[in-house]
Amino acid sequence: MFVLAVDDGSVKKPQLDGRFEGIQADRKYFLESEGKSAARCTNHAKELEEAASQTPAVMFYDLNVPYSANEAHLSRTLAFISELGYNVVALNHSIVGKLPPQITCAIPDPLPFKDVPLKLEIRRRVTLTLTESYQNARLAELARAYDILAVRPIDERTFQLACSSLDCDIISLDLTQRLPFYFRFKMLSEAVKSGKRFELCYSQGVLGDSVARRNLISNATQLIRASRGRGLIISSEAKAAVGCRGPCDAINLATIWGLAQDRGFEAMSKEPRSVVVTAQLKRTSYRGVIDVVYGGEKPALTEKGVQAADASQGQGKGKTKQQALTSQKRKAASEAVAGADARDEVAAKPMSNREAKRRKHQARLSGSDAKEGATNGPVGGGGDTAPASAEGEPKESGVQPAKEAG
Amino acid sequence: MVRIKHRYLLVNILYPDAKYSPLRPAATAGDDIPYTVQFRRPSPDQMNGGLLMRLIRDGVVELFGDYGSGKIAGSLQVKYFSSATSTAIIRVSREHYRLVWSALTLTTRLPRPVDQPCVIQVVRVSGTIRKAEEEAIRRARLSIRRAEAAAKSSSVSIAGTIPTASTAAAAGDDDFDMINGIEDPDELGDLDDDDDG
Repeated sequence: MFVLAVDDGSVKKPQLDGRFEGIQADRKYFLESEGKSAARCTNHAKELEEAASQTPAVMFYDLNVPYSANEAHLSRTLAFISELGYNVVALNHSIVGKLPPQITCAIPDPLPFKDVPLKLEIRRRVTLTLTESYQNARLAELARAYDILAVRPIDERTFQLACSSLDCDIISLDLTQRLPFYFRFKMLSEAVKSGKRFELCYSQGVLGDSVARRNLISNATQLIRASRGRGLIISSEAKAAVGCRGPCDAINLATIWGLAQDRGFEAMSKEPRSVVVTAQLKRTSYRGVIDVVYGGEKPALTEKGVQAADASQGQGKGKTKQQALTSQKRKAASEAVAGADARDEVAAKPMSNREAKRRKHQARLSGSDAKEGATNGPVGGGGDTAPASAEGEPKESGVQPAKEAG
Repeated sequence: MVRIKHRYLLVNILYPDAKYSPLRPAATAGDDIPYTVQFRRPSPDQMNGGLLMRLIRDGVVELFGDYGSGKIAGSLQVKYFSSATSTAIIRVSREHYRLVWSALTLTTRLPRPVDQPCVIQVVRVSGTIRKAEEEAIRRARLSIRRAEAAAKSSSVSIAGTIPTASTAAAAGDDDFDMINGIEDPDELGDLDDDDDG
């Protein structure tokens, strides 16, 4: 996966002029000494490294903090989590059963209270319990409303669905229940390969009773063994501040359950990071390959651009030809104009014949009143279906120059 | 001579809930004290090393039964406890320190005379008590600095943020130091003088 640029504001963008200068200089001195240009490259690399070092080298993620509308409670929980040493937190809203017809993010943005810990980054997540089958389109809509989408399968069928076909970021399970199915490496690795991660929530074992703890340990052990330690994330599901534990404490718990120490550390830092970043890329860029970070200033319209604009409004003579050329001209024009404009141009659907005719009619109406009566005829024919109007086009365009000449 | 090797756990006791007093309702107390200070407040007077020992032993019995209890019983000792900073240094044998660690993680409440909800965070695991002491001193200094910074900023904002924008430069880097590098690697072990390693 090649990423052009991910703008999350943490890395300082290098100055373009300096680099350009550097490249020019490199070209100049290339033949003279490769060593000099190599030094310039390393200097630039150092600049980037300094910029990156402003963020902590190790970041701890807690991707499951249940969202509660009680502000004081949530504020205290977030402050406590930040105190324990976490850097990124995802507030979780859980949905069981039917999706509401209007899908909106239940977690307000920005958070309503003011003392949100500064060092804490907050993401928004939704956990959908798969009690019934959901349409993929609705899931996609839900995914767009939040930063992270997690699903919670309840039996073997939904688990298989979640691992293979559903498009989610995290697969979470209620590990305090006796699960009716076993974990299989093939299914888990299939999910991990497509970027989904499995979640271990420790807080219910911490706060819950003996049965919950036993089930959690049993299920966690099975999950760790079946996944061979990869593709796991550890998170609390702490409903209160008293259920949160420090990152190293959680890693130690996972170690007791069978996860190797370094895998546990990954599960706290690297894997959740990949979940957050992948989810972000899915939502902002095109398949994680291209993302327009800064499209450039909108330049003054060039000659070509003006012509294209005219063509798209359907004015001018020889309309069929114009129509045929419009699509090409639009593409060419969009390349000339460049940047954010290009995206708008290309994104707009090519206009239908009927629409073009309607606009032309309106333009003519607004242009001159004398021709009003004369244009009624052709316009009446414009209500026909597309093929008919296409046939009517040449006739009309033939008629049009005569009229305009007249 | 074969020396028994130990691990020394440096432990913080944090109080996530609002200041708990049987006389006053908890909600109203301490509204203007910044969160950092609230969470790391001093332990109640009845809390001492013996109570902590009892807490650990009960926790290990509950989680690991008689086996775990027997394994750690020989070398479990609370070397240092300060109720003012809610910090403790606990000695465990090297093979079974994880049992004690998980028992500490899974405690939610301090035992009978104190009976308050708490969160125990293990901050450092080292092979010598000296490293643990140094770490304790370093953290105490850092937490004083952070508390001062938070108190300064709390005059501006209610119940201050963990670091605010104005103090981020001063105290920001310290946060990173506070949570980094918790465990000295198992294999090397910090050097007891005649350790075989």
